[in-house]
Amino acid sequence: MTEVLRILIAPLVWLASFSAIYGLHGLLCQNALAAVAGFPAERAVLMAAYGVAIALQIILLWILHHPRFAAPSGLLRFVSRASGWTGLIASVWTLFPVVALPTCF
Amino acid sequence: MNALERHRKLTEIWASDKGFKGWFSTVNHNDLGRMFLVTAFFFFIVGGLLAMLIRVQLATPHSAFAGPEIYNQIFTMHGTVMMFLFAIPTFEGLAIYLLPKMLGTRDLAFPRLTAYGFWCYAFGGSMLIVAMLFGIAPDGGWFMYPPLTSAIHSPGINADFWLIGITFVEISAIAAAVEITVSVLKYRAPSMSLAKMPIFAWYALITALMILTGFPPLILGSVLLELERAFGLPFFQVDLGGDSLLWQHLFWLFGHPEVYIIFLPAAGVISTVLPVMCRTTLLGYGWIVSAAVALAFLSFGLWVHHMFTTGIPHMGLAFFSAASTLVAVPTGVQIFAWIGTMWKGRPELHLPMLHILGFFFTFVIGGLTGVMVAVVPFDWQAHDTAFITAHLHYVLFGGFVFPIFAGVYYWLPHFTGRKRFFCLGELAFALVFVGFHVTFLAMHWVGLLGQRRRIPTYAPEDGWTAINLISSVGSFILAIGIAMILVDVVLHIVTAHRGRRNPWNATTLEWAMITPAPAYTFASLPRITWRDPLSAEPDLAVSLARGEGYLGTPRHNWRETLAVDIASGKPEMHVLYPANTRLPILMSAVTGLFFLSLLMKFYWTVPLAMGGVAFLAWKWVWGLGLRQDQAVQSVGHGLSLPNAATVARSPGWWGTAFLLTANATFFGALLFGFAFLWTIAPGWPPPAWFTPSIFELGVGISGAALAPLAIRHATRVNESGGTPFPTVILALCGIVALGFACASLMWRAPTPNEHAYGATMLVLGGYGTFHTAISGLMGGFLTAQIRSGYTSANRRAAFPIVGLWVKYTSATGVIILLAAHLPGLIP
Amino acid sequence: MILLVFSFRRNSESGVEARQESIWILGFGLVFPAVILGALLAYGLVIGAQLSPQNGANAVKVTAEARRWEWRFTYADAPALETTGTLHIPAGRPVDIAITTADVIHSFWVPRLAGKLDAIPGHINTLRLEADMPGTYKGVSAEFSGAGYEAFTFRVIAHTEAGWTKFLQGQPE
Repeated sequence: MTEVLRILIAPLVWLASFSAIYGLHGLLCQNALAAVAGFPAERAVLMAAYGVAIALQIILLWILHHPRFAAPSGLLRFVSRASGWTGLIASVWTLFPVVALPTCF
Repeated sequence: MNALERHRKLTEIWASDKGFKGWFSTVNHNDLGRMFLVTAFFFFIVGGLLAMLIRVQLATPHSAFAGPEIYNQIFTMHGTVMMFLFAIPTFEGLAIYLLPKMLGTRDLAFPRLTAYGFWCYAFGGSMLIVAMLFGIAPDGGWFMYPPLTSAIHSPGINADFWLIGITFVEISAIAAAVEITVSVLKYRAPSMSLAKMPIFAWYALITALMILTGFPPLILGSVLLELERAFGLPFFQVDLGGDSLLWQHLFWLFGHPEVYIIFLPAAGVISTVLPVMCRTTLLGYGWIVSAAVALAFLSFGLWVHHMFTTGIPHMGLAFFSAASTLVAVPTGVQIFAWIGTMWKGRPELHLPMLHILGFFFTFVIGGLTGVMVAVVPFDWQAHDTAFITAHLHYVLFGGFVFPIFAGVYYWLPHFTGRKRFFCLGELAFALVFVGFHVTFLAMHWVGLLGQRRRIPTYAPEDGWTAINLISSVGSFILAIGIAMILVDVVLHIVTAHRGRRNPWNATTLEWAMITPAPAYTFASLPRITWRDPLSAEPDLAVSLARGEGYLGTPRHNWRETLAVDIASGKPEMHVLYPANTRLPILMSAVTGLFFLSLLMKFYWTVPLAMGGVAFLAWKWVWGLGLRQDQAVQSVGHGLSLPNAATVARSPGWWGTAFLLTANATFFGALLFGFAFLWTIAPGWPPPAWFTPSIFELGVGISGAALAPLAIRHATRVNESGGTPFPTVILALCGIVALGFACASLMWRAPTPNEHAYGATMLVLGGYGTFHTAISGLMGGFLTAQIRSGYTSANRRAAFPIVGLWVKYTSATGVIILLAAHLPGLIP
Repeated sequence: MILLVFSFRRNSESGVEARQESIWILGFGLVFPAVILGALLAYGLVIGAQLSPQNGANAVKVTAEARRWEWRFTYADAPALETTGTLHIPAGRPVDIAITTADVIHSFWVPRLAGKLDAIPGHINTLRLEADMPGTYKGVSAEFSGAGYEAFTFRVIAHTEAGWTKFLQGQPE
């Protein structure tokens, strides 16, 4: 089962962080927060969450590449690393609007 | 024993009963796979006829062919039948028929469950067809948006048929998904590691896992909407604290993964058939597996792109727009891996290959229009027009029907053992291809001119007359083509030209047997050390028939096979299958009685049906019990393995684990619904919160803590040879305490008819109570087994399974109680 | 698809499989779509953001309430006015339309002026549109709403500045 988990974990974490940030965004825009030093607080919170999501993926990717945790067989190693990269790229790409767009319109 | 004697003996053991009566008692995947496929294609014809009626209606302006009431039923049923009664069951049927053969084993993990799933599908589908014949079919569109489908705006029984019928059919999807997952992971030929699995098995595994996590939100949505319709619990009524957007979220949380649940098996067919047609091996096996995994996950992050016009903040849309474009990348990886495969080999234009080319052409166009609608501003214009209808048909017809036709023609010799004689197929392909593109290119065009989807008619001034007529003519060409394919297949089945084994010179295991496949599938089980076993050992079929593999000697009238370690494929246990029985059809009939009682509002038969299901389930599992301890069994080649009933992680444990995965998704969706209503729905906070009670909370949580600990202890005591009886009773007490707290939550839920909060509390409490009832039943079963001497330190497999249920019930129970009591306790 | 045709023409000289893998999958499968999609996405998001109603200080405010099967429009500048089936707006000025519904889900769509936006029970969605020229524009409800759906249409009349003032004062043109 660990072999299957190794493949699933990174995209699963992406899915969780993606849904969490989408939900967080909805919540933040429902109840406006006070701006901190001229910088909208919603945006700061979302960007922090974005950072955490990417950091998590980088850690996972490192773990999947680390010889101690990597899968024994060649194909499974390849697939688990590919899905690790998928998780990282998906996190950066799909949550990019946090940085690029106005927060609550 | 020579090969012929072995064949006779094994056939005697494995065959279903003679004649048509055998259909009702068979549990063999060979029969059930065929039955699934035939039924699915019957529904395909029904859905196709409905499509023809739609095109007749739209062929001319001011058409008087069908009134809006009938027309609304026609298009709703067309979508529903094609999605739920054709596409998903076709995958299930194909996987059920092929997987044991490709994986080198004799049957799927749970043969009776396969049969149960089939009969649920057949009965549930029939309910919808009967509704259609009586003119009371669902008419709210295949995605059934409330409030249009709520009791106020659709008072008739039509919507109930959809909600109840589809939920019934979904049981078969969940059953098949559990079955396929466990079979791919555990039921393979010795030494077939994950890396040596045929690519179709990877696709089937990923699809099955997606069904387990994608379908529960839809089932939840259907349950909630039916509760609202039947008992007035206002989950989707905005003036009572509900929100119709919740349905859209739940529906598309299922609906988008559904598209890939349909596409991935088709991609599996292509990845299997294409290399054979090109006389080569698949390019980039690892890449394709990775791409399929990526696609499966990304597809769960797309659901809001069906809701771009619902007024969600722009950044929210942007997340999903980004995810929708990203999903094209793994799709692209697969497409280019296939093109690379063709480039590397020597493509031969056999009939399956023609359909694959049809797939390429159609699906790529569908993908391109898909990228167009992923762009938010474009979607704001195209949404809900015929453009979207055309796009989804390019994706689904291109991405599913063409590959399935390729698969049908590719495996037809396997199904029948015959050679194709008439050359109708090529002409039929040409008609289908031309007809399809004429129909749906025209539909793109008319959509861009502003024709909305689902309108029953239009005026000549709109300027759509000519295009619609072209589209309708195209659809009739398409229909003639499909009819010819069906005729071709039937002619193939009835003509008597025996073909040779493995006509395509394929390299996968399913061709290493006589065709049509014998009831026992493999006379002996191969040892697999190559991904393309038949190119490494061309004479494998003969050697297996001679009984040179594992389990080559029929004995004791056993239906036996092996289960293996997930990753390495090392043989792990010896499995005995149950024989033919009518229990599955009986159980699905009683399940049907439950759904029918709900539909007809005969509420007094509901508990009767539930009791019936519980009784039959008891009987079902009781029949597997063993009176004597099981010694290790020799399986040939000097290998001896323990019986599946004597291991900690039996197939049943794995099945339970995956069923609970689906269940957990259902529960997660329920919690999401609660949070969504609380934060987004207007009309909150509710007039009254649930009155918390420290006593109930304490009793419930202590019960939830006690039960798993006790059952764990019981498992250990049993393994070390002690008497587990007292601790099992202790676990039961814990379950009862938790059940009391949950039932009290149901009982005291504040005015469930007047606010969605109270309704949610009722459902949460009901979920907890229901699960404590199941766990209680299982605990009772275990006690009865211990009392009757069916368990011992050796026969221990039942304990961990009950343990899983108890742990799950306790964990969800604690969450439910906290979610109910905490808001009132925190000031 | 052109590549597809070529795969038939070419005779197979067995190349190095690893190299083929990297060309087909990495080159065509990963890099090529990623670049195109990135550009497309950025373009779509920028346009989408521009179309969203922001800084609506000088926008004309109207509300649109749908029911089966008619639209009722009210005007912030003339609270007593209500029109059914026809929305009046000034040409050349941005208009914010607050959209909601009294019964089932509908969708407000004037193809020549803007994209669609749904009318959802209990929610108010705001659509920004602007008519460049005075005139009459056709609108439809674009969400299936039962048996009267196909005839559920409305019109938008964009007035000149003078016509708009007259309309607000309750005088027919």
